[in-house]
Amino acid sequence: MFNCKESIDSLLPFLEGEMSPEDEEHLRQHLNGCPPCVEFVNTYRATSGLCRKALVKSMPPEVAGRLRAYLRSKLETK
Amino acid sequence: MTQTSVEDDRELLARAQAGDMSAFEALVDRHEEKVYGLALRMTRSEADAAEIAQDTFLSAYQHLSEFRGEAAFGSWVHRIAANNALMRLRRQKVLDIVSDDLAGPEFTDRGSLAEVPESDWSKRADDKILDEELGRAIREATDALPEGYREVFLLKDLEGLSYEEISEMVGISIPAVKSRLHRARLALREAIDAFYKEV
Repeated sequence: MFNCKESIDSLLPFLEGEMSPEDEEHLRQHLNGCPPCVEFVNTYRATSGLCRKALVKSMPPEVAGRLRAYLRSKLETK
Repeated sequence: MTQTSVEDDRELLARAQAGDMSAFEALVDRHEEKVYGLALRMTRSEADAAEIAQDTFLSAYQHLSEFRGEAAFGSWVHRIAANNALMRLRRQKVLDIVSDDLAGPEFTDRGSLAEVPESDWSKRADDKILDEELGRAIREATDALPEGYREVFLLKDLEGLSYEEISEMVGISIPAVKSRLHRARLALREAIDAFYKEV
């Protein structure tokens, strides 16, 4: 059975379904008896989604306008 | 992007390849937000992001005839934009900073978690509106990542590129990409956990 460190070290292959069946069993056994690691897995899994929300960037209309004008000027001369 | 949008893109692409400028402009309309967002996240500069968007769509137009449509048009311009952003960062020589002091969980000698997570805040990730303070904490933590980790995290978790694409663009092996991604996620998870400890 894995300890906490081995479990956390293997989270990426675990979440992507790339672990060997044997290692996955070791990890699941650990998670069954370790609530803090279950919370860790849940929060690790949620991290990317929260970051996506925090890092959304939108394009200001004036930048979109300049992009359009730039492309027209470049492409009309071709 | 939905299946219908991808099909619409194919139709627009075919018209653009036949020389219809308005069809190409419609493709720009559909994908400029995503391209600009990627460039801004990567470079953290509005001026650079605007130039990258210009270069990306100009390059896409110049290579339209070579695009065979095996991939979606959106994925194609997205990869061009990512390459342009990385090249710009390389020119600014900010890519080679890799550090070993990334935050992450601490363990006891026996490999147990030294500190129990603050709480299971994962369900809050489903909230539609992100707390403003949390958003700021995440942006600061992302900015604080060593550049080699930040770019891999952004390209994978924000832009959805494959490990193979990132490995090729960044010039490191796939296991190295995965290792950087994992450590970046751990550092960001740690920052979010610290935020919830304080509130």
